Amino acid sequence: MDEEPERAKRWEGGYERTWEVLKEDESGSLKATVEEILYQSKRKRVIESHGQVRLGMMRHLFVVIDCSRSMEDQDLKPNRLTSTLKLMEAFIDGYFDQNPISQVGVITTKNKRAEKLTDLAGNPKKHIAALKKAVDTVCVGEPSLYNSLNLAIQTLKHMPGHTSREILIILSSLTTCDPANIYEMTKTLKSLNVRVSIIGLSAEVRVCTVLTRETGGSYHVILDESHFKELLTLHVKPPPTSSSSECSLIRMGFPQHTIGSLTDQDAKPSFSMSHLDSSSGLSLGGYFCPQCHSNYTELPVECKVCGLTLVSAPHLARSFHHLFPLEAFIESPVEELQGNGFCQACQGELKDKSIFTCPSCRSVFCVECDLFIHDSLHCCPCCIHSQTAS
Amino acid sequence: MVEDEVNLLVIVVDVNPIWWGQQAQREPQFTLSKCLDAVMVMGNSHMAMTRTNRLAVIASHCQDSHFLYPSKSWRTGDSGGDDASSSGDGKYELLAVANNLIAEEIRNVMSRSKGNSTDTLLAGSLAKALCCILSMETASSFVIYDVIKAAEDCARQYMNFMNVIFAAQKQNILIDACVLDSESGLLQQACDITGGLYLKIPQRVALAQYLLWVFLPDSEQRSQLVLPPPAHVDYRAACFCHRNLIEIGYVCSVCLSIFCNFSPICTTCETAFKIQLPQMVKPKKKKLKQTM
Repeated sequence: MDEEPERAKRWEGGYERTWEVLKEDESGSLKATVEEILYQSKRKRVIESHGQVRLGMMRHLFVVIDCSRSMEDQDLKPNRLTSTLKLMEAFIDGYFDQNPISQVGVITTKNKRAEKLTDLAGNPKKHIAALKKAVDTVCVGEPSLYNSLNLAIQTLKHMPGHTSREILIILSSLTTCDPANIYEMTKTLKSLNVRVSIIGLSAEVRVCTVLTRETGGSYHVILDESHFKELLTLHVKPPPTSSSSECSLIRMGFPQHTIGSLTDQDAKPSFSMSHLDSSSGLSLGGYFCPQCHSNYTELPVECKVCGLTLVSAPHLARSFHHLFPLEAFIESPVEELQGNGFCQACQGELKDKSIFTCPSCRSVFCVECDLFIHDSLHCCPCCIHSQTAS
Repeated sequence: MVEDEVNLLVIVVDVNPIWWGQQAQREPQFTLSKCLDAVMVMGNSHMAMTRTNRLAVIASHCQDSHFLYPSKSWRTGDSGGDDASSSGDGKYELLAVANNLIAEEIRNVMSRSKGNSTDTLLAGSLAKALCCILSMETASSFVIYDVIKAAEDCARQYMNFMNVIFAAQKQNILIDACVLDSESGLLQQACDITGGLYLKIPQRVALAQYLLWVFLPDSEQRSQLVLPPPAHVDYRAACFCHRNLIEIGYVCSVCLSIFCNFSPICTTCETAFKIQLPQMVKPKKKKLKQTM
C-alpha cells in the first residue's frame, strides 16, 4: 500500500536562515523588501487555471468537524471550536457562491461517535443556523474517524454517478477511536469514488496521510488562523473530476417567480413545500414547480413531490466562469511600456513596478485591476468591447 | 459617524448614436441633450446633498465606453479649465465644473463616432466602472450604479453581463435601471440580484422627474418611501439549440449547457451521455398490461 517514498521531514532538511530574506538598501531601510514581499503575496492569489481539465460542478460535500476534547485548546482564539465554526460559516457562503448547484452536509464527531448536524442540502441558511447553534456544544471524548466516514458514505453512496462525492474532515485530535479497521474503510471509499481531504489542526497523523493519498484528496496542517482560512478557500473551487465519474444529462426545471397580490383574481394561496413543518402559513407568490406546481420559497431545491431539481438560470451562470476561465495576463516591467501610462480599466496612472497585458486584446492593466479581474470579474473589460463590436 | 460615509453614485448613460438619431426624428422634444440635462440635474442634486457625496458619469457607446466625469486630466491634477469654471451666477463651483466637463466630453465622444455596429456595450462599461470604483474608493459605504438604457439588449453579452453582475453583488453595489424604450431582461435580472430598482419610464420627457423621485434616494432611505413595485423577472433559461425559453430542460453535467430535448451527445463539450436503461423498460411493461 505504501509505494511512494516518504518526503523529507522538516527537521531532516538543512538549516533555514530566514533572516537572509530581508535585505537593506543603501539608506538602511527595509521598505523595498517589505513591498516586494507584499507584492509576491498578492500575486500568489492569482492561481493558474487548470486549463482544459474537466471540473466537477455538481458536488456533494460532507464536512466532518471534530468536537473532541482537544478542540477546547486555546491556541486559536477564543478556542479551536469557536474559531473553526466561524470559518466554516464563511466557507459555506463562499462554497455556495462558487458552486450554486451543489450540496453540503455537516457531521460532528465526539465521544467515539458521530452524528449528523445537518443533512445534505442546497440552501446555506439552514447550515449556517446549525453552525451558530453548535458553538455551545460541549467538547468531550475522542473523535472517531471510522464512524464519521461511515455515516457520510451512508448518504453519499446513493448519490448519482455524475456528481462528485467529497468529504472534508477538520481533525484536531491526534488519536481516533475506531470500531473496525480503518484501512478497510479506505478501500471502501476508493471503490465508491469518494475523495477525502483533511485539514489537521495539531500535527501530521500517518493514518490521515494514507487516507488522503489513497482517495486522491489533500492533507494539510494549519500554521495559524489565516493559514486555516487559506486552506479552506482551496476547497471552495471545484476540483478536477476523476476519470471514472459519469457524464449524464440531468433533467432540471426552471420555475417562474410569481409575485401574487391580493387584487389579482387568479391568485390562489398555497403552502410552501419546503416549510411544511414550520408555521409560516399560506403565501400567494413563490416558485411553482413546472411539473407538479408545488410551491417553494427559495431556489435551488429538489421538489419533494416529483423529484425534479429546480434551479434558476443565474445559478448556472455563476458556474460558467469555471468552464471558460480567463487566461493569466502577461507580466512585464513598467519600463517597457510605450505610450501613455494609464491603466485601461481604472483610468489610473501605472505606478507599480510591473504591468499586465491581456494576451488577446493587448490592453494594459495595473496590479490591483489584474487581481480584481481574475478574482471576481472573470472577464477582461477590454475584450468585451472588441468581442461585440463586429 | 456621518462625516465618514461616502456615497458614490455612478450614472451609466447609453449613447447609442443609431437609437438617439432615430429618436430625434421620432420625438424631437426629447433628444440626447435633454437626456444629458436630466442626468446633470441628478448628478448635481446628489453632490449637493452632502459634501462627501461623489459622482461619476460614464457614456456607453458602440465601440467603447468613456468616462465623462471625472476625466483623466482632472484626476492627474491638471485643471486646465480653471478660469472657465468660475461662473458668474454664484453656482457651487464643483457643480459648474462637473457640468462643463460632462458637456465637453460628450461632444468629443459623439464627434468621434465611427464604425457600423449597433449594439451598446453595456457590460463593458459596467466592468470598467467596477475597476475604477475599486481604485478610487477604498472606504466607501454605498455605491449605486444607475443605468439609463436606450437601445435593446445584445444576446452575445449575456455571459459577460452575468459575470459583471455577480462581481457587483459581491462588492455590495446596487444596480438600478431606468429604461427608456424596450424592456430589458438582462437589466431586470441585474436589479433583482443586486437589490436595485428597475423602472421603464412611461413618459420620456419627464426623465428628470423620474430620476430625482425614484433613483436619487440611497438604499437606507428607500425603505421609508413608496417606490414602484419590483418587476416580474423571467428567470427561465434559454436552451442552447433554439434560444427558446424553457421551463423544463436537460443540463449537461460537464459543461452546464441547457437543452430542450434529450440527445445522446452534448453539442458544446461533445461528451457522450450514458442512457439510463430503466426508463426504456417501463413503456414496454405498460403496453403488455393494456393488451391483457
